[in-house]
Amino acid sequence: MKALINARLTLVWLVLCAVTIVSWWLGGTAEHHGHFVFSTPVTIGVLAIGLFKCRLIMQNFMEVRTAPRWLRLFTDIWLVAFWGAVLAIYLY
Amino acid sequence: MTATERTMSPPHDRDTMSPTDEEANSGIRLPGEGSMWVFVLGDMIIFGAYFVIFMIERTSESAVFLQSQQHLNQTIGLINTLVMLTSSWFVARAVRACRAGDYQGATRLTVCGFLCGVVFILIKIYEWSVEIGHGYTLASNDFFMFYFMLTGVHLLHVVLGLIILGIVFRELRRPTLRRASMVESGATYWHMVDMLWIVIFALVYLLR
Repeated sequence: MKALINARLTLVWLVLCAVTIVSWWLGGTAEHHGHFVFSTPVTIGVLAIGLFKCRLIMQNFMEVRTAPRWLRLFTDIWLVAFWGAVLAIYLY
Repeated sequence: MTATERTMSPPHDRDTMSPTDEEANSGIRLPGEGSMWVFVLGDMIIFGAYFVIFMIERTSESAVFLQSQQHLNQTIGLINTLVMLTSSWFVARAVRACRAGDYQGATRLTVCGFLCGVVFILIKIYEWSVEIGHGYTLASNDFFMFYFMLTGVHLLHVVLGLIILGIVFRELRRPTLRRASMVESGATYWHMVDMLWIVIFALVYLLR
């Protein structure tokens, strides 16, 4: 059981590292002749990965997955409200 | 564990680190102290407000922000994110080791998490010194004001997190002090610090 829990944590950590590298690479694609350029698809990708990473950390590392319902609800509402607000302001 | 259950627990329960029967049956429980969660959730709301203000300012000066972003070292940002994630991984495993009664393993993993936090600070200081060396300071423009303020306030959280991990380390080393709730609370705080960095990396470094 202990090995299984550790395997899950390690898998989560590996996924977190992998998607971090993807988001870093994504940021680098919005470049023209060595200058950063605006890119809505890149921004949406970066924000989506950010939300995904925050949720993975909350659910698995902070153990919200097995926490009382009020905490699961609060964290999910925060995630949607926060990342939603960031995207809305960016698109405005 | 509710406050009533905690106060009614016999003293030796401090060392056993086992959940109550009710918690064990449902599998649902709040890790750590409720007061730590109040602090963590409050911090998330406050930081959320800072980030929203950053986004509003970015919208009004988007060209300046994009141009200034170019002067940040994206690769250092990536490395620091990987260091922070690794630190959280060590600390999450320390909690599980502690619950399983493997206090030596938990202590070792807490030290690994702590050292990653120190590496994060060293990299951040190097990054700041390079930026300042190139003439970018708080006063340069609004982007750099936000960059130094957000990363600075976050760094204070890292320092506080290291102090808390130090307390966890001290408790794990002394059988009479061991409390599962303290180890879990320390871990909860540390993961929040990790999560806030993830938001900073996305908004300040990568947004286009």
